[in-house]
Amino acid sequence: MEEVFVNIGEIKVLTQEGRLVAVGLGSCVGLILYDALAKVGGMAHVFLPTNRKGGDNPHPGKFADTAVAAMVEQMTALGAQKRRLKAKMAGGSQLFSYGASVMDVGRQNVEALQRELQTAGIPLVASDVLGSRGRKLIFDVGTGQVLVFVIGQEPVEL
Amino acid sequence: MTYDRKQDEFRLDVLKELGNIGAGHATTALSRLLGNKKLTLVVPQAMIVGMQESMGLCGGPESLVGAIYIRVSGGLCGHMALLLPFTSVQSLLGYLLGATPQEFSDMELSTLQEVGNIVVTSYLNALAEMTNTVLYPSVPAVAVDMAAAVWSSILAGAEVADYITIVQTGFQTDAEIIDGTIAFIPDEEDLAKLLEALGMGEL
Repeated sequence: MEEVFVNIGEIKVLTQEGRLVAVGLGSCVGLILYDALAKVGGMAHVFLPTNRKGGDNPHPGKFADTAVAAMVEQMTALGAQKRRLKAKMAGGSQLFSYGASVMDVGRQNVEALQRELQTAGIPLVASDVLGSRGRKLIFDVGTGQVLVFVIGQEPVEL
Repeated sequence: MTYDRKQDEFRLDVLKELGNIGAGHATTALSRLLGNKKLTLVVPQAMIVGMQESMGLCGGPESLVGAIYIRVSGGLCGHMALLLPFTSVQSLLGYLLGATPQEFSDMELSTLQEVGNIVVTSYLNALAEMTNTVLYPSVPAVAVDMAAAVWSSILAGAEVADYITIVQTGFQTDAEIIDGTIAFIPDEEDLAKLLEALGMGEL
């Protein structure tokens, strides 16, 4: 089965079958959109809530406020219908403890994506976010199954 | 900020030398902490890498690492991290605490934090001396998790753009018990300031 890795800032879309995989989600969030009827599935590996530093943004998947719209566009082009899309997401953790130095980017990413999904009218049906552990996310587009992996723990179905 | 290639190479050479001296201090500090265990410095590298490329700097993306992160402010702003493969974390803590840890409680984490603090601040001291600036390290933050998750969280905190200027150095014991990577990411705006402080600003 085709396995497609979704690196930081990327959006990948598959139809009918194959797996989308995001590795090493710390403060990043893996966002999944799925049209179960058309079997069109997409994953974005979101890095930051917004492009605060400005400049060109060749990677809409990198930022929460551009990822959702770009994903919807790519997915509808492959036959998905926006009104049928459902969302799941995982990530947004705060791995570092003690130091106050790392801003809570994970939480900001999660909150920004929740807002964007609401604005787009896409229901968020499941999420495994925040906390202090890194995650790996696997989405089987053929079956719709989503698994979340954490080091030293059994995978959890989302 | 844009550079032409020749400038790039020259500036990277300067940063590499800076890394060499900084990491030399850091290695001496770590060696003292380990009762004068002999540590060899790995020749530092200064590079401009894409974000995805940089994910491979600390081993496989899913390998377990210990990381200490410090935000640097003052005359130069940037980010410093010490990344250690899990086996190195275990030997380091085993050496310092007298037993190889099976799990990570506050005791192990705060020991790791202190090791990182000593190593990173000695690197910073060298940097401050050379650039004649005052640098303030933040309280060190510590994490033990998947390499890519840890590293990407650091980059997100640094809000890096697509490319990162990074100075990377490491050290090894002769028995190869401990190896690690020190990464210094100067803020993009401060990179010019850093080079200027070293007398390279006009190039």
